[in-house]
Parts: sequence; structure tokens; C-alpha cells
Amino acid sequence: MFALTRLIVIGFVALTVIYVIVSFWSRALRRRKLRREWEEEGRPGDRETFVETGLKAYDGSIRRKLILGVYIIPVCIVGLIIYLTNFH
Amino acid sequence: MVYIKWAFWITFWGLVAAFFHYTLPQHDIARITDTYEKRIDFGENSIFWASADVGNDTGTVNRDVFFIQTVRTNDRVMVYRNEDTGWGWPPYFKFDTSNLQAEAADLKSTSDAPKWVMIKHYGWRNEFMSIFPNAVSVKPVAGPDAGIGIPWLNIIILTVFFAFVWGIWVRWRRFRAARIDPMVEDMTESWDAAGDAVADRRSRAKRWLDSWRAK
Repeated sequence: MFALTRLIVIGFVALTVIYVIVSFWSRALRRRKLRREWEEEGRPGDRETFVETGLKAYDGSIRRKLILGVYIIPVCIVGLIIYLTNFH
Repeated sequence: MVYIKWAFWITFWGLVAAFFHYTLPQHDIARITDTYEKRIDFGENSIFWASADVGNDTGTVNRDVFFIQTVRTNDRVMVYRNEDTGWGWPPYFKFDTSNLQAEAADLKSTSDAPKWVMIKHYGWRNEFMSIFPNAVSVKPVAGPDAGIGIPWLNIIILTVFFAFVWGIWVRWRRFRAARIDPMVEDMTESWDAAGDAVADRRSRAKRWLDSWRAK
């Protein structure tokens, strides 16, 4: 049981680090994209308001929830490996 | 300095290569001649052994380990250990050690009537350290000439690893070109300037000293 606990704890910490990095990176990318969009659309109104509205829409989007795949995919891979190694 | 740099990188990549060669799965065509278990008292070679069967006590100093004896297609023998990797490293998540031993025992054959199998394993055989590759699965094959297939998994893992290394390397180069190189250049320039100034002052001092010398 100890080995499983160790794997879960270390795995969770490692994946959380990746999750946080990917989240920040993705948000920064979105911000850059919105600024370009504002530029291309002929500068409609205040730039910061435009970017903030865009980021609020991003926060509720499915695209952002896809980052949760950072947790889901490794668990699925482990499950697949267990099946293939032991029961296939 | 150049030699130290080379020695460092050769050692580093040698260790990386050894790590992957030890950990990634490989396939052997062999015939199983016997299966047995033996008590092992782990010593200096303990890192080359996996773990006790999942659920068992992990604090023991020795335990019985399953072995599979084989003869490979080149007529040389190979002995595999058969241990759970459990939830630990390497991540094969192997829990079916006893089942694998039963399968291997079922596929036993003699040289007169050989039954060939493909053994998936990781690890090394080394006689000087008494270490054995860990068998992960056995599968009957048609004959000794059976192919072992293209190692897709290894190709994917190594490709991803080297893509990752390449990504880090490119970013490091860019960072160095943008931040560190200008700083070093700056330092070299000011160092040179300081050196010139010192030389200048010294020559002036020398001239002054010379003026006192007897002509």
C-alpha cells in the first residue's frame, strides 16, 4: 500500500506543477492573441477592457477545462499499461 | 578545459543511454528450459532488483525470487528473473509475477522438441554483479526465426525525450545569446580597458623611474 500511496502523492505533485505551468502559459498565450485581435479589429474601445472581457470568456471555456487532461491522460495511460501487462 | 567539457558530456550521455537501455522493454526469442525460485540475499546489487510481490511485507532483507532459464536462438543461455515491479520504478505496473511463472512453466521444452517463445523484458544480465533482466511477458511464437517487430513504444518514448531535450537546448541557446553573451562581452571589454589603463600607468611610472636612473 505504501508504494501506491507514494506513487499517487509524487504523481499528484508532479502533475500539479505541470498543470499550473500549462495554465499560466495558456492564459498568457490567450492574452497575446486578444491583443493582436484588438489591433486587427481596428482598436475597438479600450484595449484592457477588450482583453479582460476576452479572458473572462476564456475562463469559462471548454478549452481551459481541457488542461485537466494533464491529470486524466497519465491516469488513463497507467490503467492501460496495467491492463496490457497483467490481463492481456 | 575542452577535455573536461568533452568528458562531462560523454559521461552524461553515456548514463542517459545506459538508463534507457536498462529501462526500455526489449524482446528476445528463446526457449524455456526450466523455471525455479531461489532465495536472494540482496547486497551491493540491490538496486538491480525490483520489489516483493505487491501487498507483501517490504521490509524483509531477503526473499524468494522466481527465475526463468532459457536458451536463445544463438544457443547461448539467458536467465531471467521474474519479479513484480508493482507501483514502483520502472513503470511496467507488473503484478502478475506468479501467473507469468505459471505460463513460463507451461511453455517449457527440451532441445529435442523446442517450443519457441518471445520474452519481453527489461534490465541487464551481468555475471559480475549477479543481476538478471526482469521478464515482463512470454508469448509463444512459430519458430526461432520469428520477428520481434518494430519497437514502436521505444521509438515514441525516445522521440518524445529527444524533442524535449532539443526544446530545452534551443531555449537555453536563445537565452544565452540574449542575456549572457552581451554580459560576458561587456565584462571582457571593461577588463581589457582596465588592463590598458594599468599598462599605461605602469609605463608612465617606468618613465618616471627611468628619469632618475643614471644615464
